[in-house]
Amino acid sequence: MDVLVAAVVQAVRLLLSGDAEVWQVTLLSLRVSLAATAISLLAGVPLGAWLALARFPGRRLLLAAVHTGMGMPPVVAGLVLTVLLWRTGPLGSLGLLYTPTAIVLAQVVLALPIVTGLSAAAIQQLNPLLRLQILALGATRTQYLWLLAREARLPLLAAAMAGFGAVISEVGAAMMVGGNIQGQTRVLTTAIVLETSKGNFDLALALGLLLLALVYAVNLGLTWVQQRGRPL
Amino acid sequence: MKRGHLEAWLIAGLALLLSGCTATAVTPVGEASPRSTGGETPSRPAVLLATTTSVQDSGLLDVLVPQFERATGYTLKPIAVGTGQALALGARGEADVVLAHAPEAERAWMAEGHGTARLLVMYNDFLLVGPPDDPAGVRAAATATEALQRIAAARALWVSRGDQSGTHQLELQLWQAAGLAPAGQPWYQEVGQGMGQTLNIASEKGGYTLVDRGTWLARRSSLALVALREGGPGLRNLYHVLLVNPAKSPQINAAGAAAFAQWLVSPETQALIGAYGQDRFGEPLFVPAAGRSEAELAE
Amino acid sequence: MSATGQEATPLLALRGVRVRRGSQVVLEVPALDVWPREVLGIVGPNGAGKSTLLQVMALLLAPEAGEVRFRGAVVDARHNPVPVRRRLAVVFQEPLLFDTTVFENVASGLRLRGVAREALRTRVMAWLARLGIAQLAERPARTLSLGEARRTSLARALVLEPELLLLDEPFSALDYPTRQALLSELPGLLAAARTTTVLVTHDPLEARALATRAVALQAGRIVATGPVDTVLAAAGLGPLAGAVSLPAPAERC
Repeated sequence: MDVLVAAVVQAVRLLLSGDAEVWQVTLLSLRVSLAATAISLLAGVPLGAWLALARFPGRRLLLAAVHTGMGMPPVVAGLVLTVLLWRTGPLGSLGLLYTPTAIVLAQVVLALPIVTGLSAAAIQQLNPLLRLQILALGATRTQYLWLLAREARLPLLAAAMAGFGAVISEVGAAMMVGGNIQGQTRVLTTAIVLETSKGNFDLALALGLLLLALVYAVNLGLTWVQQRGRPL
Repeated sequence: MKRGHLEAWLIAGLALLLSGCTATAVTPVGEASPRSTGGETPSRPAVLLATTTSVQDSGLLDVLVPQFERATGYTLKPIAVGTGQALALGARGEADVVLAHAPEAERAWMAEGHGTARLLVMYNDFLLVGPPDDPAGVRAAATATEALQRIAAARALWVSRGDQSGTHQLELQLWQAAGLAPAGQPWYQEVGQGMGQTLNIASEKGGYTLVDRGTWLARRSSLALVALREGGPGLRNLYHVLLVNPAKSPQINAAGAAAFAQWLVSPETQALIGAYGQDRFGEPLFVPAAGRSEAELAE
Repeated sequence: MSATGQEATPLLALRGVRVRRGSQVVLEVPALDVWPREVLGIVGPNGAGKSTLLQVMALLLAPEAGEVRFRGAVVDARHNPVPVRRRLAVVFQEPLLFDTTVFENVASGLRLRGVAREALRTRVMAWLARLGIAQLAERPARTLSLGEARRTSLARALVLEPELLLLDEPFSALDYPTRQALLSELPGLLAAARTTTVLVTHDPLEARALATRAVALQAGRIVATGPVDTVLAAAGLGPLAGAVSLPAPAERC
């Protein structure tokens, strides 16, 4: 119990003192995971809408594959990407291994299926007559998708929060493709693992509390946007 | 703002962070730019070092890395993994230089042609640690071999790293020398993790384990374990730096690797290594050993 | 066959149109014309194919065979239908409002067409007033009663001042007073919009009150065209059938 109390105290102290290394690790975590979530939204929402609306043979198989991807173990995603990014690997010439970009890529692999699958469900549950109404109003293809997304914004924002939550909290992929290099690819989750293995439990817990506070702040913003115009 | 449009701007704003993710390196915080040596920046500044978690956990890297970068203008990327993985990465050409402490595995590695040079850098020793009440009576043992035999006889809990690390390989040699084969026995538990985690588990469960001095000094205050046997023949822990054979891949930074190795064995760095730990733990963690021979140290 | 007997181009013309669902033919229309400024009623029982016919007219459904002409030019729902769709407006059986305010709902078609802010505001407020819902402009659409929602949906279509207005059972499920009010207001609204109207309904009373001409549909086929009373009679929806939907104390003895 005293470990927990010490952790809370230390977390506050770390934040207020502006400990440079903690700030750096926190900012890197945010940058990497927000970027991965943004990319997953840009690609996943249209992809999910397409899966929901298009009709082609094998559509259900593809949708099932997307749903399977939602449960991808982060360490497996990290391992596969590591092998691809090795110098001797097919993408080795890119020199991306042990860089923040590699972590972003791995996290996109994790978040994209989540966003795609939830977007497809969000679009599918819209009234089919509503889709016809939008077309009848004279919408172009782009306008049509935009209006559908706007109508489904509640579940779509939930998809964004789910995707972000999945990547900000993962450690397996960040550890494998990032290497947990101090000052370069150390993020909150990998720092927590390191401090735990070094026995600095209260520091590890403090970082954990910091991570939770961060996730809460981001989701507070997204939830506020999602719930605008609805009763308190 | 119109309903629905805020969400679009939010997403677009998040997407702008894309520009941030293209940065592949972040300047180490609190340090002066590593290029401030006055000399020219090397054409290929990044050096990939594969080393072990024990080296990282000891905290030595945190001191060495910024000094190396400042002195030479290279950027060091240390990847701390298990010894097996570090040597495997070197064998694949995925690292430029390896810092390990598993002499037998390293010799085999060199014999297979993976490296062009192997230099002794420093050493310390291993300790046998365990619960303060010492149920197996290890304190009374005359040799390391006898200590292990007492543990086996008492079927006392032994926590092994089980990960082909330098520590693990030494542990296996000790069991072999004692004529014992504990694998598979219920009191012999392999955790497959780094030294820090292994110590945590041994401390929680009240078990015995083998630990290098560096990690021990850094961790002992937070563990419910005591040192029961230290030093002596067979418990030497030798650290070598190995240069990966550049013939493996054009991407190998042979110049950077050589610079790192040379820097490690230089007198200034050796002094740094010899002093490390004094202020934090009251005694140095490592003994600088550049220039000495392996045979000389293994009695 | 033109309504006035002159050589004029119909606003909308269907020729040889056939729609199939699965293996079944659900609509078969050899010829159908819609003339400017008329109110064409399409009557028939449920499942007769009225909504399918409407969707073909609105270029929302491409028939398996046949062609659709708008002002003489052939149009195809599959190939660049948007410009012609923007000259039409459709109101479906449900209000189908967006999850936003009444004002934004009514403005949505204008926004899609890129109408400037000032002109948009003027037109929307004018039509909200004509439909009697100006005071609801800032209300979230999901809080409206069914009558208010239908007025909003009508305003959304009429504000576009379409050349052709397609209404699919716009007054179904409304209570009697609301329905009566809208029925009496609609002719004035249609005149104000200077539009041609196609009205799909299964209610003979509505057809009689609003349509200038009618077409009866049964099992996907046209069984009668011409004046409203004639068509209703031919479709078995004669004067007595129409009168039943009104309380008529004089008829009870």
